[in-house]
Amino acid sequence: MVQISIEHLTKNYGTLVALNNVSLKIESGEVFGLLGPNGAGKSTLLKTLVGILRPTSGTIKLDEIEIVASPEKAKSIIGYLPENPSLYTGLTTLEFLQFVGKIRGVADDLLDREISDSLKSFSLEDKRNSLIGSLSKGMKQKVALIATNLHNPQVLVLDEPLTALDPRTRVSVKDWIGSQTKRGVTTILSTHDLDVAQSHAGRIAIIDHGKIVAVDNIEGLRKMANAKSDAQLEDVFLRLTEEQA
Amino acid sequence: MYSCDSPRNRLKIRLGDLPLSLGTVGVLVRYWIKGRFTRATIASLVVGEAFSVIFVLFGSSTYLSFSNKVGLTTGLSEVAGSLILALYIVGLIQSGFNGSGLPVSSSDVDYVFTSPVPPGDVFAAKVLLNSLTTVLFGFPPILVLYLRFSSYYHTGALVAFLAGAVTLMFFVIGLLLSADITLSLGRGIGERRKPLRNFFIILVLVISLLPITLLISEVPGAVAEAARILPNGLAATISVGLVSGTPGTINYLTDLVLLVAWLVGFLVLGIRLSRGHFYEVLEVSVPGVEKFDKPDQTSRLNPRGRSLWSVVRAKERILISRTREARALFINAMFLSGFLVIYALSGSFQSSPTSFLFILFIIGSFGSGTASRWIEKERLWILKSSPVSMRRYVKEVFRARIAPLLFYLTPVTVAVGVPLVLSQLGQPSLLLGVVLALPGALEIAAITMAGGMYFASRYGQSSNDDILSSQAQELADIRRFLFQTVINLIIVSPVIVLVLVSQSLATSVGSGNLPELAGGLVLASVVFTGFSINLLLNRAGDAVRRREDL
Repeated sequence: MVQISIEHLTKNYGTLVALNNVSLKIESGEVFGLLGPNGAGKSTLLKTLVGILRPTSGTIKLDEIEIVASPEKAKSIIGYLPENPSLYTGLTTLEFLQFVGKIRGVADDLLDREISDSLKSFSLEDKRNSLIGSLSKGMKQKVALIATNLHNPQVLVLDEPLTALDPRTRVSVKDWIGSQTKRGVTTILSTHDLDVAQSHAGRIAIIDHGKIVAVDNIEGLRKMANAKSDAQLEDVFLRLTEEQA
Repeated sequence: MYSCDSPRNRLKIRLGDLPLSLGTVGVLVRYWIKGRFTRATIASLVVGEAFSVIFVLFGSSTYLSFSNKVGLTTGLSEVAGSLILALYIVGLIQSGFNGSGLPVSSSDVDYVFTSPVPPGDVFAAKVLLNSLTTVLFGFPPILVLYLRFSSYYHTGALVAFLAGAVTLMFFVIGLLLSADITLSLGRGIGERRKPLRNFFIILVLVISLLPITLLISEVPGAVAEAARILPNGLAATISVGLVSGTPGTINYLTDLVLLVAWLVGFLVLGIRLSRGHFYEVLEVSVPGVEKFDKPDQTSRLNPRGRSLWSVVRAKERILISRTREARALFINAMFLSGFLVIYALSGSFQSSPTSFLFILFIIGSFGSGTASRWIEKERLWILKSSPVSMRRYVKEVFRARIAPLLFYLTPVTVAVGVPLVLSQLGQPSLLLGVVLALPGALEIAAITMAGGMYFASRYGQSSNDDILSSQAQELADIRRFLFQTVINLIIVSPVIVLVLVSQSLATSVGSGNLPELAGGLVLASVVFTGFSINLLLNRAGDAVRRREDL
């Protein structure tokens, strides 16, 4: 169980301010939703959080582990799924998962078992010897999700995990996210799918132009947006981001 | 409604029994130019162009002064020109077999290939654009090169201009050949036809290697003649002959007619090949779209009980073996081995041991080019979000991907070097140069390949490359290649200088202390090489780790 503390995080790309003094605290075991229009800074925030990007200023801590100071230590407890995960298409599903397991330090015995169980739960057993290049988009997404979780991370960072998936795959991915929540994993979920955010996330942050516009649970966000008590998250989101604009 | 049927676009020509709509071709070319040549792209190309001109001036002047110094009064030879052009052709043949003979981007696939434009028009537009950009950007450095040589031979600027135009025509022929080879790669040709296809590949390679045999003084006249009428032989004969002031107007005209015949031949062949649906054989530089003949494979990684880095190397080897890269490496190996064997047979090494260093530098640069094409691009998220050290990862990729070429070159170097060492035993001062040149050659190749990895990490991999895709990408690659060649040359210069000054050193030290001196110098060059490779690969790892545009 890991708590995430983000303090005064700023990320610039040249003159472009992608993240502007972002501060967040995500409790251990919490599922935290991240919403925002295209180009708001969601992916930059997540990439900075997992150590792919270096912050211009500010700090990110996973419990006491500071991501810039101890990137290897932090990365060993994070599972990251990018928005468009690109995989080694020339490897088979099994080879890819074995490779990822190895670079994430999973013990051999555990790795075999973990891969078999995961392939089974995602109904990919018959694809273990198929080249990834021959899999459908949905199957590739499932493989990427398995890879994200092979080392049983304590923090999951998922960037648009449901993009362009067919309904059946969406259901299985949603179920998977639910199962991780039960396991007590701290999860950050960036999504355009407001239903998923509403149903899975305890608290939601709305980010726009690199700034956090609002953070709260759905009821709190409704209040902030002066929306009705039964207003859908979509309404709330539109009101809050319009105000910001 | 398909607008290309408008009166404006009705102008059609017939080439190879295929009507081409010039209007459609014009629309496509205009769209590609507008879409790809942004201000930033043009600025970088102009900088690259200026750099190329400086590089050409530096290279040609160094070559001429070196030629004078070692007594090669010819300065420039048709054989050397033909060989250099053969290298270009081999590179393009390789690219053709990789499916990159007609460079396409994903936007071509999404918008052009799904439009009702006939494939023949797409082919013509691609070839036209590639040729235009090659001519446009290739002409300044080539003209500068020939002007430098023409001033050396006092043959005048007009001659340099004509020679440049002929060389450019050869470049266009190379592009057409590459495109034709790609078009000939029909997918799903069936098991029975595969041996035929493989035979064709080998035949094309053998023919392209023919000019190298010219290094052998006893080569039969028929082979020399056959090599001479190949496009590179013709282009070298005309360009070098003109610049160096060799008389023979009628011969030049005949050669020019033959060269034009090659151009027209490849063009007609390409247009005929492009009549069918050829889009599926083209290689699009987008991750996740590689095509594999067999979707199911036996897993070969087997990580149980193996170290992390052994698994990383195994992964690289599996990826190479399952993609078209394996074919490219095979072609490289064929070319390099043929080149070295013929070089050894030619006796050039015996007359000038230091030339071996330059030969290996060329080979190292070839390997460096291979290294610089190492691309993981969007897949780097897997590594960058994991706790692995990028420095070590890059080193392991170097071991898996590049080092085999060095192992491959080692026995060839030994085979070439041992007879030479034995023959020089009576001349201690020359022997030192030979003893240093042999490991030095491998060291140079290793350093340049590490340099290639550094450049791939620092400047490659980026999705920005996709913006420069297609013809501009080819040009960017050429400039990067030239740039890294210069940098590599600077890094390896201590090894080269060591060999060059060996004779003076041996004379001043005396034959009694020669073994100690040789041992010490070899050790020093090995240590320097190890240090340089380590430094370059560490920098490469750091470059990947720091980059934010991946």
